[in-house]
Amino acid sequence: MHEMSLVQGLLAQLNELAREHGKEKVISVSMEIGPLSGVVIDSFQFGFDILAKDDALTREAKLIIESPPAIYRCFGCGREVEALQRPERCSECSETLFSPQGGDGLILRQVEME
Amino acid sequence: MCDACGCDLKPEHTHDSKVVEVHQSLLAANTAMAVKNREHIEKMGAVAINMISSPGSGKTTLLEKTIEAIGDTIRIGVIEGDIETDRDAERIRAKGVPVVQLTTGGACHLDAAQVHKGIHLLEKEEGGAELDILFIENVGNLVCPATFDLGEHHRLVLVSVPEGPDKPAKYPKAFHSSQVFIISKTDLLPYFDFPVEEAKAEALQLNPNLQVMALSATSGEGFDQWLDYLREVCRKRQ
Ligand SMILES: Nc1nc2c(ncn2[C@@H]2O[C@H](COP(=O)(O)OP(=O)(O)OP(=O)(O)O)[C@@H](O)[C@H]2O)c(=O)[nH]1
Ligand SMILES: [Zn+2]
Ligand SMILES: [Zn+2]
Ligand SMILES: [Zn+2]
Ligand SMILES: [Zn+2]
Repeated sequence: MHEMSLVQGLLAQLNELAREHGKEKVISVSMEIGPLSGVVIDSFQFGFDILAKDDALTREAKLIIESPPAIYRCFGCGREVEALQRPERCSECSETLFSPQGGDGLILRQVEME
Repeated sequence: MCDACGCDLKPEHTHDSKVVEVHQSLLAANTAMAVKNREHIEKMGAVAINMISSPGSGKTTLLEKTIEAIGDTIRIGVIEGDIETDRDAERIRAKGVPVVQLTTGGACHLDAAQVHKGIHLLEKEEGGAELDILFIENVGNLVCPATFDLGEHHRLVLVSVPEGPDKPAKYPKAFHSSQVFIISKTDLLPYFDFPVEEAKAEALQLNPNLQVMALSATSGEGFDQWLDYLREVCRKRQ
């Protein structure tokens, strides 16, 4: 469950942002968690639900998670497809090897505070 | 409904809210520390290898046998990561190479800050400041360690024969992010259903650039290829 320690890091960062901008309440937090990030979105959400409640700053914060697809590049013909899951085989050349590009982001995009 | 926050809009309700664009990885602090670790390790003249596997796949045994085989020609140092106890470090120390034990106190992975501490501690050990290869044995866990760059140059994922061949499909991140895949305990192949070629193919499907090796620390089978790989890693550094 490294999701818990990642959520702890996120909450520390939210505290810092709030101090920096003189705000007292986080309304929403937008995250990008890619399908190849190694982070389980449900576990991250679960960790956030539990830990955010312990702090007045984040008690009512809404966590919005987007998971953009990765790009899979065919080893045979170089064709690139966007997908959430690794394709079985290339629709051009039937190759089964692909190298993934991107999709591993674990990014705090924006925070709404008041 | 109020557009700004989805609340049931009350007449007196106003939003003095502010949207701050951040666009920063949650791993940014870890990555920054990993970059420092890598520089530090390069200054020592060493190459770092991060070993990732489930508990008991044979990481420490592989290190023991490796030190016995080439410890006199290649200067090896080890950072051991475990949740509790320093038993692994004791095993390595008995082989006469510098070693540091990091205990994570419950955490399921090493991070770059812990390894930073480990490097400084290792430098205080006899011979710990002049190394060719620094092995970092991560906490036994195929999931969490894969997310954290420690400052290594090579990442190595191990799966032992008794664990079964379906690990790549179940734990893709460890295989995506590694350069080397080791199938360990091949002396046990006669007793387990572990189709080596299938496991290799499946791992390559996830990461076509993986270098795959199969070996046994007990029988020594496949060890030549492993030692050649380590010598090559030393030759190619910087
Ligand atoms: N048959 C066989 N057993 C092995 C081999 N390598 C290791 N073992 C055994 O597997 C068990 C676990 O080995 P370790 O080297 O401690 O495994 P580890 O990955 O360091 O374990 P953790 O640090 O707890 O994650 C021990 O009982 C070893 O003797 C091998 O090549 N063949
Ligand atoms: Zn974990
Ligand atoms: Zn193709
Ligand atoms: Zn071990
Ligand atoms: Zn330092």
